[in-house]
Amino acid sequence: MKIKFLSIAFLSLIIFSACHKAPAVSSGGSTTTVEATVIKDFTNSTALPQYSSLTNSAVTLNGAITTLNSSPTEANLAAAQLAWKNMRTVWEQCEGFLFGPVEDNDYDPNTDTWPTDYTQLDSLLASNNPLQVSDVANLAQSLRGYHPLEYVIFGHGDGRTAAQLTPRLLQYAVSLSGDILYNNVQPLYQSWTSAPTNYAQQITTAGSGSIKFPARQDLFLAIVGAMSDICNEVGTEKMYDPFINKDSTITESPYSSNTLIDFKNNIIGLQNVYMGLNGGTGIKDLVASQNKNLDNQIQAQITAAVSSFSNITEPYEKAIFDQRTQIQQTMTQLAALKDLLDNDLTTFVKQYVKD
Amino acid sequence: MKKFYIIIGMAVFVGSFSMCHKSDVFSESGYDERLTGGAATVFDATTHAFSDPMPGLDARDTRVHQIGDQTFAQTFVAPPSPIFTGLGPIYNNITCINCHRNDGEGIPTSGSSNSGLLFRISQPGKDVNGGPVPVPGFGLQIQDQAVFGAQPEANMSINYTDLPVTYPDGTTVELRQPVYLLQNPYTTLASGYMLSPRLAPRLVGMGLLENIPESTILSFVDANDANGDGITGKANYIYDDYTKKTELGRFGLKANTSTLLLQVATAYQQDMGVTSYVQTVESGDGQAQMSVVHGDVQPELVDSLLNYVVFYVKTLGVPARRNVTDADVKQGSTLFNQINCSGCHRPTVQTGVDVNLAGISNQRIHPYTDLLLHDMGAGLADNRPDFLANGKEWRTAPLWGIGMLNITNGTEYFLHDGRARTLEEAILWHDGEAKNAKQKFMNLTLTERNQLIKFLQSL
Repeated sequence: MKIKFLSIAFLSLIIFSACHKAPAVSSGGSTTTVEATVIKDFTNSTALPQYSSLTNSAVTLNGAITTLNSSPTEANLAAAQLAWKNMRTVWEQCEGFLFGPVEDNDYDPNTDTWPTDYTQLDSLLASNNPLQVSDVANLAQSLRGYHPLEYVIFGHGDGRTAAQLTPRLLQYAVSLSGDILYNNVQPLYQSWTSAPTNYAQQITTAGSGSIKFPARQDLFLAIVGAMSDICNEVGTEKMYDPFINKDSTITESPYSSNTLIDFKNNIIGLQNVYMGLNGGTGIKDLVASQNKNLDNQIQAQITAAVSSFSNITEPYEKAIFDQRTQIQQTMTQLAALKDLLDNDLTTFVKQYVKD
Repeated sequence: MKKFYIIIGMAVFVGSFSMCHKSDVFSESGYDERLTGGAATVFDATTHAFSDPMPGLDARDTRVHQIGDQTFAQTFVAPPSPIFTGLGPIYNNITCINCHRNDGEGIPTSGSSNSGLLFRISQPGKDVNGGPVPVPGFGLQIQDQAVFGAQPEANMSINYTDLPVTYPDGTTVELRQPVYLLQNPYTTLASGYMLSPRLAPRLVGMGLLENIPESTILSFVDANDANGDGITGKANYIYDDYTKKTELGRFGLKANTSTLLLQVATAYQQDMGVTSYVQTVESGDGQAQMSVVHGDVQPELVDSLLNYVVFYVKTLGVPARRNVTDADVKQGSTLFNQINCSGCHRPTVQTGVDVNLAGISNQRIHPYTDLLLHDMGAGLADNRPDFLANGKEWRTAPLWGIGMLNITNGTEYFLHDGRARTLEEAILWHDGEAKNAKQKFMNLTLTERNQLIKFLQSL
């Protein structure tokens, strides 16, 4: 009898000890050192070079528009359109880390507000109101930035010809690209590199004196949060809304049919933050230092999401009618990615980034 | 053996009765202080701290919240347009998010795309429902922007003069005293009008505030100052033109709005010129410049979108407190109560039951407000009555989330018009019913003052 009791006690002991959670697999040690490297590289190799490249592409765009204004030929129009698309590539990738001055100082809504206000735009173009850069800067955001410029140089359904470009349209285009360059893209870069904001310094001093990021964990959560946000915005808003409503008028870049490329570049932007750019480390290095399995999962999911865009072969405005299965698949990939970022990666940061 | 069964039986009998014992009041120390919004608390100290949905929404509610979120951030355009039509012809901004930045507060400027300060206007007296009297040609709010072809009702000039305050210990702080001037009215403006500046507030815990029982709010009223602390507190009762009823005011800086539905619909109408089933009349109604708009279909905002935005605002989470175990923060919290800041900024309130939304139902929350009106003295007075609120009275501002503004909004501004640039300045502007508390704050040592501010920064 006593033996029976003892064996039950023993058994229950085993059962209870089996409930003990296994310690997380770790390749050992604190993440402090790798955190510092990742933070430094995020700033100097990923963020700043991209903002610098954004400035360069804005200079090129502004130059192309100026040339088009002085000589509105088909070739110059094509060059301006190309410069616009190139700048969009850089900008959409910069949206992989949409926090800080780009939000606080409105550089995002000043340049990338949607939809374009046609009614006011038509009235404005029909009027004699001055249209210098300073005038454009005072317009509503729905009359500033990439999309009104897109309308001027691409026209409805990508049908713009050089002959249609009136002096008034051209003047508007010149000031729009000037407003993007001088009032938004250049100040954005400066806000990261110089006083009073010096946002790069706010980031690199995270956890050691930074006002914006009192702890390093705050910074990493902000970075991961921004990755998740863009993933969510593309998957459940920018792609989903035109798809579910079968409405090609509510896509992001309808005049140039650049919408699908915008989407993909957003996710590549996220990928850049995770993988690192220009030989620098990325979030992946932090994750891999403690949990290689999670890092593998995230890398694979990002790659799957990015490459799934290739299955959509038509412009998005058409694909929402013809290639619904492919669109659905991409949205599913994005949802899975968002899930990994929101749950696994966020939990990882909270668990390991303690300083 | 029989005895054994009797003993067991008695034990079960006693045991079951003792289980019927009603639980004692849960001790204060048993609660997690970080849970500012109860079950609606979110643990996010990033720039998006005000933008997260409350935890626990089901799939359907999450989707509605998300559509509301998108609509909240949506830019509206001038009619006619197939999508997001109805902006203007006169307005203060073109999207909700430009004033409620990151679902936080506005910037105290006027007339620009990032401006978040607006001005109410009225004539002396009361209208038939006890509310402010509209100014002919201007209504109850100055719309300082307009669509192409129309003219803003006026431009507001904002200037500040320095106002030094000296502590008993000799420390001096420069407050900035605003001077507001209405310029370039689009048509004749009769003199004798009254202006009231209102900074767009952060959207923290609105659903929880709406769900505080009226009886709870009214229980905070101490009209005769029975406890002798110099604080009375008054409920505002306003007329809701949609329900056609007089209701208790909870929202707005003078508690001049009763429900989130009315608040959101009125903001769309007055701030953006977008009409809805709740606010059916254009803000520029009756003005000659309404003629610049053609092809407009009323109401401009789809019913469901208005409802979704209301749901969005209602289901935003409340950021958790930070550094609650820090010794200075703990001491600051004690001082906050000792000098009776808590007399108006009530730390703990219980919400009522809402069977549809668990996150706001029966929650123990820490909004740091009593939702009542208090005389705040001449320095802060707008001298413009709003229903029962007189020219010196303001609603106690909820303090939850106040320590996150620097992170969510880039730059912090405090008080009803953003005149205070720091929490310290905001405290020093307190007067009237808050004069005792302010003076006690000024008599604290520098260390203690910093502890109290550190406590506020943990909210």
